[in-house]
Amino acid sequence: MRRLETEILVIGGGATGAGVVWDAALRGFDAILVERRDLCHGTSGRFHGLLHSGGRYVVKDPVSAAECIHENRILRKTHAHCIEDTGGFFVVTPEDEDSDYPERFRQGCADTGVPCEEIPAALALKQEPRLNPRISRVFRVPDASIDGFQMVHSTVQAAREAGARIFTYHEVIDLLMRGGEGDRRVTGVRVRDAARDEEVEIHAAMVINAAGAWAGKIAAMAGIRVEIVPGKGIMMATAHRLVHTVINRCKWPSDGDILVPAHTVSIIGTTDTPVADPEDLRIEDWEIRKMLEEGEKLVPGFMRTRMLRVWAGVRPLYKETAVTDDRDISRKFALLDHQERDGVAGFITITGGKLTTFRLMAEKTVDRAAAYLGERKPCATAETPVPGARHGYYWLGHRLREVEDGRLQSQLICECELVTRGMLENAARHNPTIGLDDLRRDVRLGMGPCQGGFCTYRAVGVIHELKQGHAVTPAAVDSDWRAAEFQSPAVQPPSRAHAAEEAGYPDDLFNPNLLLRDFLQERWKGVMPILWGQQLKQEQLDRLIYLDIMNADHLPDAGLRSPLTDFYHMEVRGDASGEEPHD
Amino acid sequence: MTELLVIGAGLTGLMAAIAAARQGARTRIIATGMGSLLWTPGTIGVLGYLPGEDEPVQSPFDALDALRQRRPRHPFALLDAQTLRQSLDAFRELVQSLGLPYRGAEDGRNLLLPSPVGAPRPVFLAPAGQVDGHMGRPEPYLIVGFQALRDFYPTLIAENLTKLGLKARAEFLPIDLITRRRDFSPIDLARELDAADLSRLTNALKRVAKPGERIGLPAILGLKRHAAILATLREALDAPIFEIPTLPPSAPGMRLAEALRAHFELDLRGRMDLGLRAIDFRAENGKVAWVSTRASARPVRHWAQRFLLATGGILGGGIVGDPTGQVEEVIFHLPLNDAPQDRKQWFHRDFMGPTGHRIFLGGVRVNEAFQPVDAEGGVAYENLWAAGGLLADSDPIAERSLEGVAIATAFRAVQRMSEVTP
Repeated sequence: MRRLETEILVIGGGATGAGVVWDAALRGFDAILVERRDLCHGTSGRFHGLLHSGGRYVVKDPVSAAECIHENRILRKTHAHCIEDTGGFFVVTPEDEDSDYPERFRQGCADTGVPCEEIPAALALKQEPRLNPRISRVFRVPDASIDGFQMVHSTVQAAREAGARIFTYHEVIDLLMRGGEGDRRVTGVRVRDAARDEEVEIHAAMVINAAGAWAGKIAAMAGIRVEIVPGKGIMMATAHRLVHTVINRCKWPSDGDILVPAHTVSIIGTTDTPVADPEDLRIEDWEIRKMLEEGEKLVPGFMRTRMLRVWAGVRPLYKETAVTDDRDISRKFALLDHQERDGVAGFITITGGKLTTFRLMAEKTVDRAAAYLGERKPCATAETPVPGARHGYYWLGHRLREVEDGRLQSQLICECELVTRGMLENAARHNPTIGLDDLRRDVRLGMGPCQGGFCTYRAVGVIHELKQGHAVTPAAVDSDWRAAEFQSPAVQPPSRAHAAEEAGYPDDLFNPNLLLRDFLQERWKGVMPILWGQQLKQEQLDRLIYLDIMNADHLPDAGLRSPLTDFYHMEVRGDASGEEPHD
Repeated sequence: MTELLVIGAGLTGLMAAIAAARQGARTRIIATGMGSLLWTPGTIGVLGYLPGEDEPVQSPFDALDALRQRRPRHPFALLDAQTLRQSLDAFRELVQSLGLPYRGAEDGRNLLLPSPVGAPRPVFLAPAGQVDGHMGRPEPYLIVGFQALRDFYPTLIAENLTKLGLKARAEFLPIDLITRRRDFSPIDLARELDAADLSRLTNALKRVAKPGERIGLPAILGLKRHAAILATLREALDAPIFEIPTLPPSAPGMRLAEALRAHFELDLRGRMDLGLRAIDFRAENGKVAWVSTRASARPVRHWAQRFLLATGGILGGGIVGDPTGQVEEVIFHLPLNDAPQDRKQWFHRDFMGPTGHRIFLGGVRVNEAFQPVDAEGGVAYENLWAAGGLLADSDPIAERSLEGVAIATAFRAVQRMSEVTP
């Protein structure tokens, strides 16, 4: 069994875990992060992409609101390239008029320090002509759109550059414990390397549980009860951008009241359904109907808009006391020092909270760890830009400009999202590629209107040629590099001693047929619930390509499984439609 | 006056229009676009897989009974084997006469051709330029690609052919043998080869080929001069040469579509108008009087004695499904088969599972004369016929029967139509 040593071991490769490992490494701690799948595979990759101004919480949860605006200002500097400075509106639609909420909202903004300016509805409509013309009041706040994949990747890259080690596809199967009743200590973790199918022991002075909605399961391994109520929310992406500003309904937070511009699409969200298992990402038909109906109130015609995709994420809501409605469980984060709380040393859980406040959560967590391990340097995350931040805010046209300027010399593999062969090759060189989905999170492969119809085949072929030594772009062509850095700073060459240890998997684990099959199934999972009209026709074209032209349903190796196969084939709808045969 | 108005310009519409025009009927095609034939690899699939089965069909004709048992109202269940065979023979004679010969396996079974990922595609007829890829042939494969061609991956194809127990290897040639462009599709390359001196390409191929190998290339061997290019390469290399289809649009599909269109418009003096989306119709005394199409000022009416609906299924746009789960035929709102009107029942959770997806079985019900029928089985309109992808109880993509259904049902519909006087 492989055996590693470190000071701080972080469980979970979402925003919180990435923040913790970054903060710890900057302070000079030796740190390792383990994640059971890819970075951002969980909740941090399944949200609506909203960088909160705090406006949404000013009435309900003023403490969270103040935290949000504080962190919003910091992230605009440290993670500028992950953020599109869209600004946000809180709009009063005809349905929201008979309420005192707008006044409470305005007062709440004043009380919590969230900058808020009421502007004439006519001005807002000029800026966003597709908005419901019957809105009566509009408040402008500094909301923004943030790319969760890129934010986590950049943060992790910053951590790597500060000396941290990152192990994806390493699932914690047990905590290593020492001592008896009243004197127990967590001394590390046993993880399973999913790709190599072997176990690894990692010993650590402090284990930090940042597993989000899965944090309760990790704590249970130490015999500790941490009650997380996984709150499932769905999001839907439209085939193009309907608005360029974040649009919130100015009312008590509810289903389908936020519309966020994210890259080439708009995302509407969300719902809140308590689920027993954080892996339960089923999409219910009523949720889709709800999104369509609520979207229609913000943008007339929304119901007839072509939908690209739907997905669900699970909020890690920490339950302190008995409450009835999930939305009333605090969105404030919970830092649980298990030595104080449960008499188990060397173990801290950080959960709850929001993506917007991940840096603050990390700071408080590492503060607590340092109290046990001995102070090093002070927290530096608020003043340290991550790689890529020097490029400034993201803007929608940056890839197109790179392509048109001729700086991207290689061919477009994904025409919907302007992913070049160089970007793909660089990403595959530097990140372990268990599935094409890993590259999707890096470079937005397959996220456009054809949902992988054309690029899945191409990406499999490109990576196959790369593995066979037929790459077209040399490692890190400067121009491709720069564009890629925008999307995924992870493509920068690892420049540290640990590089070999964590770099990609051996080539004999690479099977193009599984990559193709699993990615097609992964895309199917997210389009199936919203297929109608044009997108249904698009899907038939994709079927023509992969069944009729490729015969990809009869490739060799059909019986083999990848570490992701089971996840992609699980139930995705709230009914048993998959079970009965046709005839 | 138009005697037959064909709505749809895919393989179904073109074959039906050609058959009718050859019988002397004044025939016209109207269509929204160029039809989905351009997206297909130009091969003729008749039946590659039976519903729910993973093993490919050896011979479509031997499997017809099993298909009829599982899908009693499948389009192939509405005609006999002899008619299916006649329609395919008629197709072969037609394309032979147009200089685009097609061949099948000598034993009447399906060919197994290498797909762009190296999986075996079961097809009944293939263009002469693809047929030498048949896995039943003994020669080892040499798959030749071009560096940086994003729609063709020779090492991937060769690796999967090897996994299937066949002997295969891959080579790359420099793309500047064909083009100096930076961004190009297989169609661009086919156009360049139409105009190119082939000696550089043949010399490069000679350098990499070993005696006894058959050479598989991406489907880029010309659009207009395909036959000449193929002959030149075969002669220069003295080896079997074959194309492997690429992502849509596909050169072999374009060659077939263009040959059929030119024959209809130039040889048969048929009229074809694209860019016309049919939106409405008028029926009088149980007959369709006209179909109207969208135009900038006001809808334009198209009168005819007979109408043939060949707008395709969901892929072609003849059938649409909406968010409430309703599935509809878009022009005449014809009654459909009992496809689920509940979106929850449309799909199976496995994208590529052998059961397919119920939604794609939804379609227009017809009688044995290929006339749409109402729920009671009566003819919907006396002068309306339907053929191709919009017919009920067939999932042509899963069955690999797309072209076979198009050819056979177009043939049969025109045959039955001509048995009655207008």
